[in-house]
Amino acid sequence: MALPLVYHWRNLFVRKTTTLLTVLVLAAVVGVFTWMLGFSDSLTRSLSTASDPMKIIMLKRGATSESNSAIPVDEYAKLNQLTEIARDPKSGQPLLSPEMMVQVSLPRVRDGGKTWGNVALRGVTEAAFAVHRNVKPTGRMFSLGSREVLVGLAAAKQFAGLKEGQTIELGYSADRAYTIVGYFSADGGPMESEIWGYLPSLLNAYNRSMYSSASLRLMDGADPEKVIEKIKGPAIQLEAQTESQYWQQQSRNVTNYLLITRLLVGVMSLAAVFSIANTMFAMVAGRTREIAMLRTMGYSGRHILTGFVLEAVLLSLMGGSIGCLACLGWLWFVGNTKDMFGASTFTTLAFEIHLTPDTILWALASVTAVGVVGALIPAIRAADTEVIRAIREA
Amino acid sequence: MLHLVYLYRNLTRNMLRTGLTCAAVALPITIYVLSAAVIDGLDRFLDNSAKQMRLVVVNRASIINPLPSGYRVKIESLDPTHSRITSICGMRWIGGKVENVAQPLSTLATQHDAYAATFPDEKLTDEEIEAWNRDRRAIIVGSATARQFGWKKGDRISINPSVPPYTPMEFNIVSTAPDAEDKITNFFRLDYLEEELKKVMAVPDGWTPDGWVSFIFVKCATKQDLDYYRKAIDEMFARSPYETKTHDEKAFMNEFITQAFNLPRNLTILAAVTIFVAVMAAANTMSMNIRDRMNEVATLKSLGFGQWLVFGLIQVESLALCALGGAIGAAIPFVAFTYTPLRNYPVPLIVFLDVRPIVCFQSLLIAATIGLLAAAWPAWSAARLHVVESLRNLE
Repeated sequence: MALPLVYHWRNLFVRKTTTLLTVLVLAAVVGVFTWMLGFSDSLTRSLSTASDPMKIIMLKRGATSESNSAIPVDEYAKLNQLTEIARDPKSGQPLLSPEMMVQVSLPRVRDGGKTWGNVALRGVTEAAFAVHRNVKPTGRMFSLGSREVLVGLAAAKQFAGLKEGQTIELGYSADRAYTIVGYFSADGGPMESEIWGYLPSLLNAYNRSMYSSASLRLMDGADPEKVIEKIKGPAIQLEAQTESQYWQQQSRNVTNYLLITRLLVGVMSLAAVFSIANTMFAMVAGRTREIAMLRTMGYSGRHILTGFVLEAVLLSLMGGSIGCLACLGWLWFVGNTKDMFGASTFTTLAFEIHLTPDTILWALASVTAVGVVGALIPAIRAADTEVIRAIREA
Repeated sequence: MLHLVYLYRNLTRNMLRTGLTCAAVALPITIYVLSAAVIDGLDRFLDNSAKQMRLVVVNRASIINPLPSGYRVKIESLDPTHSRITSICGMRWIGGKVENVAQPLSTLATQHDAYAATFPDEKLTDEEIEAWNRDRRAIIVGSATARQFGWKKGDRISINPSVPPYTPMEFNIVSTAPDAEDKITNFFRLDYLEEELKKVMAVPDGWTPDGWVSFIFVKCATKQDLDYYRKAIDEMFARSPYETKTHDEKAFMNEFITQAFNLPRNLTILAAVTIFVAVMAAANTMSMNIRDRMNEVATLKSLGFGQWLVFGLIQVESLALCALGGAIGAAIPFVAFTYTPLRNYPVPLIVFLDVRPIVCFQSLLIAATIGLLAAAWPAWSAARLHVVESLRNLE
């Protein structure tokens, strides 16, 4: 029979100061860990919605993003020779979407307009809504005849002046008023941080005659890699990427930062391991006689070992829960809206950090592991206590 | 002397505990040093931007909308004496990539005649300036970028622009600007870019071959001039087809840095949490130490040791412990990023991490403070310990 749990629980409160200090160490580590996990999860979630395998983004050769690409109309027209493009079931038109990408500088809501972000403005045609399947207007569409735009839900939340009914100054000289007539969702993907308007109207406003990029949807069964080869080939000569390749490249910087943060949090966890080990060694040393008593009562070395590891796990879970709560509180009070800059888009990708149950479970699991690793050696030492000598000496 | 021996014996009597505590302090200090080194690198870059007293003029609509390069003359006309605005230089962004390397570069085409005067902080030699003025294909590459690609002065390199003309451009390196604070950006001549653009048959509109710049740097003589022209320039172009937005250079650069992932802020928070962890870990050890030695402390006091001496002894013990941990913790990143191949590991934003001794020294001071903080409560309770009672309580 194992030692009762309540024995371990009560033992944590014999040395209150030590327990409190150790719990605080763990809470701090777990707090940072959870935030970081939440950040990278939210970013990954946002980018994973933008990984439609049947969608291909085309840029001018040499361009690194939609913002700095320019495709002349005659080069765009060459794309029509591709046979693998899916077709609209009703009209029979190929699902090929010419797009224009510019930016508009808007104040952030988060800090009361002290800083500004570059919001992407995309000129699209009706085809775009069939190619980018996850983009769904929540209300009515913009009309083709008048100056109207739709705003992505994430952009509307993070930037000022993007509410339905407001007008926004667009155009080369920022002198044409467009009315915001509604919102659209994109399953939380990057496009939700954009503003969409009718392509010919925006081309005109920005005094352009070229598209920035084009996207297409492949028909079922087509091999994306083969089509990409064809687009890059001599007949068309454009740069092509699947959507996930494109976004992976754009989030490269942030992935780098996250790698650094992860490394630092790893080092911090190691510090927590040492801290727990220290505490557990003290606990074992302080209870040598007690352990010897337990052994004489018939508890085996293994019972003692698991007992001490269990105590460390309890300690870790206490710290972990406080850490998670602290992180939740931080997100609640300080804010959970974030935006990041694409590596070469110069536009912001807005998203919110949400802690999912998965994230919290991960955090708690990691801190438990930290507790177990830290307690292992002290617990082994406890299990190896020589009964007679311990009782005689202590 | 005797006190020192006592301290030493106390520290070495439980080597396991001392070691674990040292590690628990050293690791957070390592994190602190690394974070501080990154922030320090960015700060130095931004401070240099502030010192240079330059304004950056961009298109109000957004940073990718260009400005007419003729704006340079118009801004010049605000100060005909050239005593308050000393130099103006327009630039055009081409980004760029090296063939078969995914990483985007930061490359700018500049109005070459004004470049050296507007950017004295690049610290070009007279001979380099002469080469820059003579050779249309001259390029000044950032020192870190040069180190990364193994480029040297005099090399001929090729960069593929990320904007039209998109075709590879050949450059001759006239300098790697080893003493400049901006270690990343490459600068070349705008007239070369415009010449290449004119060669391209179909030039996209909005990208008309010449006469456009992405931003204009305006170097002012004094801080007052800087503040004055920041407003004056925007007022001059208000209600024109190309309205401007003028920042001082520090604000402009800072916006770029914080837009990406607000690294400085996140690292500051991380560093603060780290220090907290170290204080808690050290305090834990000290409180355990004092608890175990309660009877000793009582004995000391009954022998006539004053309460301040007892307080001091415990404080110094904790100080020594944490300073040792701090020294180890600061030494690891210093050695790693100064003497090992890690020093060539590229870090985003600042490219190469430079762990300066001053940062290590600061961390050592912080470690010492951690030691004092950690022992405050245990030392205080030991100092106030009631001798008879504690001797009675202990077996």
